[in-house]
Amino acid sequence: MKQENNIYRDSRNYAPIDVAKGMDLRTKKIVLADETDPNFELLPKCKNCVNFKPDSEKIEIGTCEASMNDPKFTAYPDMVAVTCAMYKEKK
Amino acid sequence: MAKKLKEIMTESGQSLEFQSGGQAPETMVDREVKKEPHPRVKKLKDIYMDTLSSANNEFPYWYSREYFMHDGEIPVVRRAQALKCAFSHLTPVIYPGELLCMHKAAFFRGSFPMPWLSEGYYMAKEDEFYQEALERGATSVDEHSKFGQGGGNVVKSFGKVVSIAGKFGMRQEEIPVLLELAKMWYGKSVDDLGHKYEKMVPEYETKEKIMRNIVCMFDSGFTLPQGREVINYYYPLEYGFDGIIAIAKEMKDKVAGKADGDGMVGMNRLYNYEAVILAIEGVQNWISNYVKEARRLENLEEDPQQKQEYREMAERLEWIAHNPPRTFIEAFQMIETLHMAVLNEDAISGMSPGRIGQILYPYFEQDIEAGRLTEDQALELLELDRIVKTSIDCFASMGVVGGVLSGNTFNTVSVGGLNKEGKSAANRLEYLILESAASNAMPQSTIALLYDEKLPEDFLMLAAEVIKTGSGYPAFMNNRVAQEFMMRQYGPEGMNVVDTRAWAIGGCLETSACVWKPLHVNGKEYWIPGGAGQPTSVGVHFVSMPKVLELTLFNGLDARTGERVFKAHDKKLDTYEELWEQFKLYWQETVYALDLTNNIQHDVWRKNNMAIINSMMKPDCLDKGHLINELGYRYNATFNVESAGTITCVNSLAALKKLVYDDKKVTLDEMKEALKDNFGFKSAREINSFSLMDQEKDENSGKWDELHFATLQAPKYGNDDLYVDSILLDWENFFCPDCQNYESLYGHPMYPCQISVSTHGAMGAASVASADGRLDGTTFADASMSAYPGTDRNGPFALLNSAAIWDHSMSQNSQLNIKIHPTAIKGVEGSRKLLDLIRAYMRKGGFHVQFNIVDSKVLRDAQQNPQNYRDLMVRVAGFTQYWVEIGKQVQDELIARTEYEGV
Repeated sequence: MKQENNIYRDSRNYAPIDVAKGMDLRTKKIVLADETDPNFELLPKCKNCVNFKPDSEKIEIGTCEASMNDPKFTAYPDMVAVTCAMYKEKK
Repeated sequence: MAKKLKEIMTESGQSLEFQSGGQAPETMVDREVKKEPHPRVKKLKDIYMDTLSSANNEFPYWYSREYFMHDGEIPVVRRAQALKCAFSHLTPVIYPGELLCMHKAAFFRGSFPMPWLSEGYYMAKEDEFYQEALERGATSVDEHSKFGQGGGNVVKSFGKVVSIAGKFGMRQEEIPVLLELAKMWYGKSVDDLGHKYEKMVPEYETKEKIMRNIVCMFDSGFTLPQGREVINYYYPLEYGFDGIIAIAKEMKDKVAGKADGDGMVGMNRLYNYEAVILAIEGVQNWISNYVKEARRLENLEEDPQQKQEYREMAERLEWIAHNPPRTFIEAFQMIETLHMAVLNEDAISGMSPGRIGQILYPYFEQDIEAGRLTEDQALELLELDRIVKTSIDCFASMGVVGGVLSGNTFNTVSVGGLNKEGKSAANRLEYLILESAASNAMPQSTIALLYDEKLPEDFLMLAAEVIKTGSGYPAFMNNRVAQEFMMRQYGPEGMNVVDTRAWAIGGCLETSACVWKPLHVNGKEYWIPGGAGQPTSVGVHFVSMPKVLELTLFNGLDARTGERVFKAHDKKLDTYEELWEQFKLYWQETVYALDLTNNIQHDVWRKNNMAIINSMMKPDCLDKGHLINELGYRYNATFNVESAGTITCVNSLAALKKLVYDDKKVTLDEMKEALKDNFGFKSAREINSFSLMDQEKDENSGKWDELHFATLQAPKYGNDDLYVDSILLDWENFFCPDCQNYESLYGHPMYPCQISVSTHGAMGAASVASADGRLDGTTFADASMSAYPGTDRNGPFALLNSAAIWDHSMSQNSQLNIKIHPTAIKGVEGSRKLLDLIRAYMRKGGFHVQFNIVDSKVLRDAQQNPQNYRDLMVRVAGFTQYWVEIGKQVQDELIARTEYEGV
């Protein structure tokens, strides 16, 4: 799956240093979080997961359909999901 | 041209920026000792220096999601389930060059909110919950607290980064979920529930007025409920995580369904052991996720050395996730992991590693002997540890993180002291700790040297050399005085003289209870010290003595806000004795109200938010099956009463005694009028600066000139003058025993804690002028034993005599900061002089002294050109901080302090 802008903070090839910048893990250079990553590799995030259902009434908020909570628990599209066993990438 | 306070003080003979014992050179003098860290360390340090304090919602998201799924579960198990889930989902992040890894959050300098503790302070301003929170007295302090404008503080929003509480940056994309999670905890957090029940205390209204008028700096139970204590790494080092789980499982079988004579909490042991197992499993999952990340990076990496380092890192982490460490680097990684795990469990400042040189020594000794480690490699790891510790942030409100902590989190390391047999405990690894503190001078870990006459001379000389780097550490703490305090406070709980020797500093300078435990490494036994007491600096936080005096003078009214805080005493205060007696009564009323309300906050904390990971590490929780909330710790009499503004108050009492009562130069009413008129100066608010240096005289007012001059000339603490020092003695002889009249929620009497951290800035900002000549809104004297800037004029030994007039072992601590020009202690001879000065104070019975070795001209230049001084460090109260990360009012107070040109 290809991201619209292929920015670093959505890429696996990136170690965030802070909210604004991080390190390109291939070149070891410090890069801006919102810069385009030439070696972009999709980072699992809720927005890329089939279980994420956006809330049309709210900004940057949805629900995780895989949650065991009743009702289904809140989720947010930008959350990194590399440790989530329920993550399933959208095709 | 309006006159500045600085000029007027000079005319009165008590100048700000006073140079005592000589004249500083006209040119700027740099610090004498400068060292560089290893190249690997330098690279990572460079990253840190350009890193913003960053926060995200990963941990609170998973914690909340799991917590709300288990409604009805036993509270301790429910909390452990939430912790396990949160740890298991933290995103691992490893940076090239790291040897010690694992971060609080997925940033180099990361942290996150804990809405289960408190959520109101970071809600959007238009939000109704935030508005409701604003009405509470506790939020007043945020208005009087300022962060430094540089360094890693995100003081303003920019681009897609939102500034929270003036310090933390959070991505715009995460703000909606930040608020969504906060709303889930509304009415359920420790802050909210505590508030609900503290209102039932009859003294609640008084407490609210106390908070609103900054008589007290902040609440205790929901701000930083743990910390100012020494962690204990013993059990994981001895048994490993799998070993602890095995112990807990075995104990579960033994205690299930049994009260064993304890009808109150005996049955709880089953749930507590279950909670320990769950929390440890969470930490193991967290480590395992780092193993996977290290393996992923190993596969990605092309550089052979870096590739190997990732592989070795993965192997180390894989081992310590289950087993006791075998080597120095494994043990170091394990204590680093444990430290971060505990800090992620709760909002904590001052979780001190303690005597890590003695804890890690067994591994160091064996690795050196076996040729697995060189001293240079150990030094490099110690340098790296300083980056790890300096990167620790604590997400809390502006008032707490800015006004009190100045952004520091006080992960203090202690060196020296005595071993179990009463001999010097200094070892070769501790020499390397001191060397690393010089070669990689960063604010943390601050070093506390537990001074004893038995410590080797070359160890103390090395410490003096480190002080000369200008880092502000090591601070010297008196081992003899601390042991006496320990016996006094913890003797009733069974502490003996051998365990008093295990003490270390928790937080910046809180004397903390520890014990010895036998560690076995490769078949050899070593006795290592570790924390065994509950958090300190909890209970009654920072009560402003000058403010209580102000309330006494103005019949219970706050002279700044006009609000009635206490019922009017309606006394004429015709004599000094009557003034003193009333001051003590208001003080007691303040402490009493705060004790009761804060006990409730802590009680809510212990019911729903108890420590599990920190608890299971502390003796004797694993043995007894009780955690912190059920008195599982060996020592529980740790709650205290904190004073602030001691010397400003003592000087003010001396001026009142001299000018109003003894010499009758002025009436009390005239003095009060002068205080309200700020001695004819413009108000700090009017000139929009609370800094000492900026205060301006109102050109049209000459009415109070003579009186102001007289107040400045009245006897001042720090000159070996019994007139004023005896007032300090009276205060200490009242305050220290009085603390025992208040009881903590754990049923133990309290004790005094005398540090100021950064409260002298924020509390001064909320107080009108004082009778010592200090102006409205300006800082108090810092610490508890430091002289007011420019008023200690008889040399350092006179200052030491003044400070040592009382028995410091009655208190958990005292705090004395001295500023010395680098040329005054130049060379080996200078180091000896510095050591002689320290020894003299310790022999007199002083508890603590620390130094800023800096040319004031450098500080002034740094204020003008902060871009040139990103790495300049100063000693503020009990901690070291980057100059650019502290607020201007405290910067100015540091510049104004007396600079000793000779010792």
